[in-house]
Amino acid sequence: MTRNNQTSDSKKTVLRSCVFTDLNTLEYTRALDRQLAVQNIKISTPSEPDRLFFVEHPRVFTLGRRGGRENLMVSEAFLSSQNIKIVQTDRGGNITFHGPGQAVLYPVMDLTRARLGVADFVNGMEEIMKQTVLEFGISADRDPKNHGLWVGRKKIGSVGISVKKGISIHGLALNVCPDLTPFSWINPCGLENVAMTSIAMEKGLLTTSDQEKKDLMDRVCHLFVHHFSNIFDIHVLGEPHV
Amino acid sequence: MKEISDLNFSENVKYTKDHEWAKLNKDIVTIGLSDYAQDQLGEIVFVELPEVGDIFTKGDEFGSVESVKAVSEVYLPISGEVVEINGALEDNPELVNEDCYEGGWLIRLKPDNLLELDDLMDKAAYLDMLKG
Repeated sequence: MTRNNQTSDSKKTVLRSCVFTDLNTLEYTRALDRQLAVQNIKISTPSEPDRLFFVEHPRVFTLGRRGGRENLMVSEAFLSSQNIKIVQTDRGGNITFHGPGQAVLYPVMDLTRARLGVADFVNGMEEIMKQTVLEFGISADRDPKNHGLWVGRKKIGSVGISVKKGISIHGLALNVCPDLTPFSWINPCGLENVAMTSIAMEKGLLTTSDQEKKDLMDRVCHLFVHHFSNIFDIHVLGEPHV
Repeated sequence: MKEISDLNFSENVKYTKDHEWAKLNKDIVTIGLSDYAQDQLGEIVFVELPEVGDIFTKGDEFGSVESVKAVSEVYLPISGEVVEINGALEDNPELVNEDCYEGGWLIRLKPDNLLELDDLMDKAAYLDMLKG
């Protein structure tokens, strides 16, 4: 974060690059397997480039390393009837929901090589979401007490990562135009009485067509890559598949 | 994050490249995180530690710290058996931020081989690495 401030745009030297891949719609566990595979390669071969995955997951609840099942407000039998699984993960944070219409970004990034502290990296991830929603005319804020991105008292984006040997996995999730109903079945991130929102809800776009939803997700994908590159001073190779 | 010159680096411990420290007292080695590490992590909200009696090899992951929605693994500077964990961190994980070389220590080990301490960095070498 501070790195951006130290160098004027005209003199900015891009030192690092990462490879972008649009995973399109992919099951949570398969996307996690991709990240873990890259993380292991990067630990054994530090010269391997950083990777950046954009993905949209089918409906799933995920738990943080410390759990969060106690913040599930419906029975697991009910979730089974809805065909929604709960996946234990090793990321920070508590229970959350992923589903269609939510834009997810997973940087598998060498934080040590980038000389980025974990706290600054998380701040940067939140800033990516903040700058992205700003492009839609939505003013949102970070909250150092309750991480993520907030529009007033409503949460629009979440962040959770884990770091092994300096290499990050997991990332951020921004509500673009998802069905927010499943969030009402949990205390998101372990917080009680938290209302969720989305770009579509804030802009009054609740009757969007499938094509409009796809266009929204594509635009968010481009914005994520753009702001990721700017905020972390990193050159992104590969283009979103749009 | 603070500037390196604003951080505290104890003279009485040895450091690893992963930012843990180790300090020998009689035949027991105390392990913790450096001031640089805790500053990079941000506000620590949970510390996961091993059980007393667990045996590890140098470089093994022996626990994790959670800060700002991030879980980071921590690694052992030397091989040995865990003889004590810092129980105060269960209720007060912020001790790692506030007092990383004293009240915020993580575990105590009975080392297998004290010579492994010789592979670690003193303050000057650690500072050189951070500045490099």
